[in-house]
Amino acid sequence: MSDVDALATEDLLRARMYRFLARLLSAPPDEAMLKSLSEMDGDDTGLGKAMLSFANIASKINQEQAEEEYHDLFIGVARGELLPYGSYYLTGFLHEKPLSKLRNDMAQLGIASDASHKEPEDHIASLMDMMAGLITGEFGEPAPLAGQKAFFEAHIASWASHFFADLEGAKSSVLYAAIGTIGRSFMEIEATAFSMS
Amino acid sequence: MKQKCDNAIADRRSFLKLAGAGAVTGGAVLVGGKGAAEASTTADGTGRHYKETDHIKTYYELARY
Repeated sequence: MSDVDALATEDLLRARMYRFLARLLSAPPDEAMLKSLSEMDGDDTGLGKAMLSFANIASKINQEQAEEEYHDLFIGVARGELLPYGSYYLTGFLHEKPLSKLRNDMAQLGIASDASHKEPEDHIASLMDMMAGLITGEFGEPAPLAGQKAFFEAHIASWASHFFADLEGAKSSVLYAAIGTIGRSFMEIEATAFSMS
Repeated sequence: MKQKCDNAIADRRSFLKLAGAGAVTGGAVLVGGKGAAEASTTADGTGRHYKETDHIKTYYELARY
């Protein structure tokens, strides 16, 4: 049972931002979600402006376009334009040491991957999802900040910003370019915030 | 020591607020709160499952803040 109510506001918002990225990076949004996303608001911070720009794009595209974009970016005919896996970004190959390190840490933290799910666990969406879970306590008690920081630094900090920058610049990216901007900006905020802890 | 630690936490919080971790508060957001957390507690005894690709769609609802 998670203890979401007891979370500090900023931690709840961090968890939501991770969840937001996890959701959109794991599958394209459908029509209803696009509509909701298009109604999102943002303040005049860097991240807020990126959210507004994303909302604006979401209001102009339909489900089919979002699906096509997601397909070109992550699935493709042989492969998508990007390979959003930690191991690939860090070593140039899938299923390398960064993935086994992640699996060890997951086991220690009591995080199991879904048996029906065949993707390697170092997919960017899985990692964003795990961060959200650590913050909200889906894997037991909410992880203390030090634990979140250790996980972030071990498995995300070294490559996620590069991935989000690639997403911003990808040939097939329109809606996802805006997600890249949001992700890059959020990763910077997280890294800075962790450095203060 | 404790004082120092508390100050660091306060700094971090103010930083997160200023940096825009609250950027989506004004509109519709993806809820990652209780509903999703409860849906994911189909633990097999060895650990909680993190939600993934196809499943994720089922768990995450769009909602008003």
